[in-house]
Amino acid sequence: MATIPRTDNWFLRRLNVQRRHWKAALLFVLPAFVMLLSITIYPLIRTLTLSFTKLELAVSPRETFVGLDNFVRVLTGDARFWNAMGNTAFLVVVGVALQVVLGMVLALLASEMRRGRTVWVTLFLIPIMIAPVVSGFQFRVIFNDTFGPLNYIIRQLSAGLISPPAWTATSGTALLTILITDLWQWTPFMMLLILAGLESQSQEIIEAARVDGASYWQTLWRVRIPLLLPVLIIGVLIRVMDTFKTFDLVVLLTAGGPGSSSETIAYYTYLNGFKFFSMGYTAAMAFIQLIVIIVVSRVFLSIQKRQRGAD
Amino acid sequence: MTHRNRPWVRLVVGIILAAALVFFLFPVVWMFLTTFKTQDQIFTTPPVLVPPAEQWNLNNYIAALTQSGGLQALRDSLIVSGSTALISVVVGSLAAYSLARYRTGGDQFAFWILSTRMFPPVASAIPLFLIFRDLKLLDTHWALIIANSIFTLPFAIWLLKGFIEDLPPELEESALIDGASAFQAFWHVTRPLIGPGVVTATLFTFVFTWNEFMFALLLTKNRVRPLTVMISSLAGGHEILWAQIAASGVIAIIPGVLLVVFLQRYIVRGLTMGALKY
Repeated sequence: MATIPRTDNWFLRRLNVQRRHWKAALLFVLPAFVMLLSITIYPLIRTLTLSFTKLELAVSPRETFVGLDNFVRVLTGDARFWNAMGNTAFLVVVGVALQVVLGMVLALLASEMRRGRTVWVTLFLIPIMIAPVVSGFQFRVIFNDTFGPLNYIIRQLSAGLISPPAWTATSGTALLTILITDLWQWTPFMMLLILAGLESQSQEIIEAARVDGASYWQTLWRVRIPLLLPVLIIGVLIRVMDTFKTFDLVVLLTAGGPGSSSETIAYYTYLNGFKFFSMGYTAAMAFIQLIVIIVVSRVFLSIQKRQRGAD
Repeated sequence: MTHRNRPWVRLVVGIILAAALVFFLFPVVWMFLTTFKTQDQIFTTPPVLVPPAEQWNLNNYIAALTQSGGLQALRDSLIVSGSTALISVVVGSLAAYSLARYRTGGDQFAFWILSTRMFPPVASAIPLFLIFRDLKLLDTHWALIIANSIFTLPFAIWLLKGFIEDLPPELEESALIDGASAFQAFWHVTRPLIGPGVVTATLFTFVFTWNEFMFALLLTKNRVRPLTVMISSLAGGHEILWAQIAASGVIAIIPGVLLVVFLQRYIVRGLTMGALKY
């Protein structure tokens, strides 16, 4: 039977012969290329050149070259920078881990329920697409110490024995309110991702494990979760990247306070650039973040590669 | 799980899921109920859960739109999000076609496009602020359209690339043999077939831009003031009009909720930029 080979190579060879399609290929990609070049590469270079200069916009528009001074000052002389990095790391590690665990539990429960699936999955998904500004506002009301519903419920349940704190204005809990709001918003994403992953798993492999006498938990740990790894890696990578940028929730919930106890790195960078107007210093700080992001994503991609190789 | 269909298992599972659903919906419901409260009812103890029936009117919505600059904010958000979505999807679909069908630039180029998504926005905000200041673009719709494209354009390219790769190339191939130009093949054959992809990409880029806050805060002042900036500035004011902000919040979540309701099938695919195609 004469089957047409459907590999890309075959297709490419066919098209490459016709020169005019090469022109089309480049022409099609040109607008996007020019746009991305001017909105990502040029700003990137500008950030880099800026990071070697001193530019205090509040004082004067003059840029003076200072070499690596900004980088040295950020990394060695700025305790607030490391505090913000620590807070961000807390949100990234603890927050995303909780989202994965809770998302996994909810997805496993949801996979047992089939009736009315579309309707309640839709309801679960609503938080995902809400602007973080709006979810920040919602939780600011909920966490309010005098009229918020949370503290009212705590006081009622404990019959007035516990006097709950002003969650967003206490240094021990301010960062936690950001974590919980993020958890609220993104656990449904993990749940949906894992649910979709679970349902695409071959029932035959799971049945085979059953027939061999594996219990529910053994099947889960030995078969289903390992099969989920590719999905989990992508989900965690996306959440880690986005949590690293946490900014909106900080503005709406705590404004970084009290003190700098809930400052994230994106928020502290914003303060330096747009409140103190130290542009050179901020550029150096932004560049360090970029390096962190590149390193983290490389690690994830290599894990993914190794995982793929193992299959 | 066929063998675990015992009724009590289903009951327990149902109860836990229902409790989780209450947790995930409570903030939205509370915000919605707040829009019908008077300023006094917000501060009372015990809190007013459901406001009295005669207060179920649109007064706070009208106040949010007319007194707090909501109408202008709504207009700005619509202009910025609509234009960003349009530009990203038009420019993005052409690039996606080229990447998917001709492998233009190879994997390296495709990954470069993807990596721009990881760029921390605060790192782009500083140079963009300086560039826009020199070009006199600060506080214009264009500033936000350009800044948001940093994320939405790569997003649209990757998502649409996946949709195009799902189609068999023979379709365009036969059009090309029949004498169609590459653009005609794209326009008459591929474009109609990636309709779901185009809708998904458009709605997602629209909602991302609609929800975006950092660029909107840093690159505008008072001539342009999208909804997210308006909500945050109202919530940071001295006298906080909770019911009006809640009403603005309800208006602000409409596009996102519509996306969830109508595009449920493509949510995973959209949120992972096509990495997972469930």
